[in-house]
Amino acid sequence: MQSFAPRALAGKTKAQHDMRIAAKRLRYVLEVTGFCFGRPADTARRRARDLQDILGEVHDCDVMLPRVRGHLEEIQRSDAKAVRERAGRAPDLDPRLAARAQHRTAYRGLDVLAVYLEARRELLSDRFVAFWRRQEETGTWARLERAVDGHLERAREARRTAKAAERARQEAEAAERAARQAEAQAERARLDRERTVREAERRREQVERPR
Amino acid sequence: MAKAKPIPDLSCETAYAETAAKVVTVRADELTEHARGVLDTGDIERVHDMRVATRRLRAALEIFEPCFPEGSYGQTLAEVKRLADALGERRDRDVAIAALHNFNDQMAAPDRRGVASLIEQLRGEQERANEDLAPLVSEESIRALRESMDELIAGARGAAS
Repeated sequence: MQSFAPRALAGKTKAQHDMRIAAKRLRYVLEVTGFCFGRPADTARRRARDLQDILGEVHDCDVMLPRVRGHLEEIQRSDAKAVRERAGRAPDLDPRLAARAQHRTAYRGLDVLAVYLEARRELLSDRFVAFWRRQEETGTWARLERAVDGHLERAREARRTAKAAERARQEAEAAERAARQAEAQAERARLDRERTVREAERRREQVERPR
Repeated sequence: MAKAKPIPDLSCETAYAETAAKVVTVRADELTEHARGVLDTGDIERVHDMRVATRRLRAALEIFEPCFPEGSYGQTLAEVKRLADALGERRDRDVAIAALHNFNDQMAAPDRRGVASLIEQLRGEQERANEDLAPLVSEESIRALRESMDELIAGARGAAS
């Protein structure tokens, strides 16, 4: 969302549209995950919704304005055609025929609407810029980023601690295994020694036995 | 606009796949609940609420994508998107008609004709958008979508256990 800001603030329609979509995504992601990040996420979610609303209205103007102009052109073209037909074989067009054109009373309302939409788009654009600047001043997005970074850092720390505990457990197990092996080796050596002593004794007895 | 329902029994320590199952269950419920009466052009908030419910559901599906069985995930997401697009087409006309009515009410009577003719055009489009939307919000379609959703939820629960 922030990456679109420079172009969106400069009035680029495409960037404003992309920013609106990004604000929508942020809002819905925060609806699901925001509780992990506390108040900064709650504020950012509400501000993303406000931003989405403002840019949504800008977008509505962008869609409606060409449509109004297109409609006006269409009815004027249709009137021109009808007026021309009414003139028939006349050498020139009587202005009174145009003054009685079928849709003549519709032009003004559509013209006023086009002016209204263009002016409203400008006003909403100014509102968008002021809104965005206010969020930057109050640090809405920066606080969200800090909250998310803090959460990630704590999660990383917890993983590091768990990993270190696991390593210590494995090392303790290995030490225990080594101690058991040493004990078994000592036992085997003792048994070997006893066997050797017994064997030596048996031989000595055989030698000393009277013939 | 309907507020998002809270997800019960969720904490920062809840496993990802378990969270996916819980969130998608609530969001799928919301979608089903808002499906009633959306074809009624007399109350345009219904379409809006259902559209927002599809957005919330889509967001949840996208966030938790790795928890769902691959094939059914893609298919279900496409179904939700198709429904969202159809609702969007209707909603765009609803909003435009309401805004133009609002504008025209402020105009002097002789200046209203042009905008009224535009509203008329939009009414035709609204009707066509409603016709396209109708099969997607029928009881049968919503039930089928819910079943697809339940399949995804079961997949996520399986991944969690």
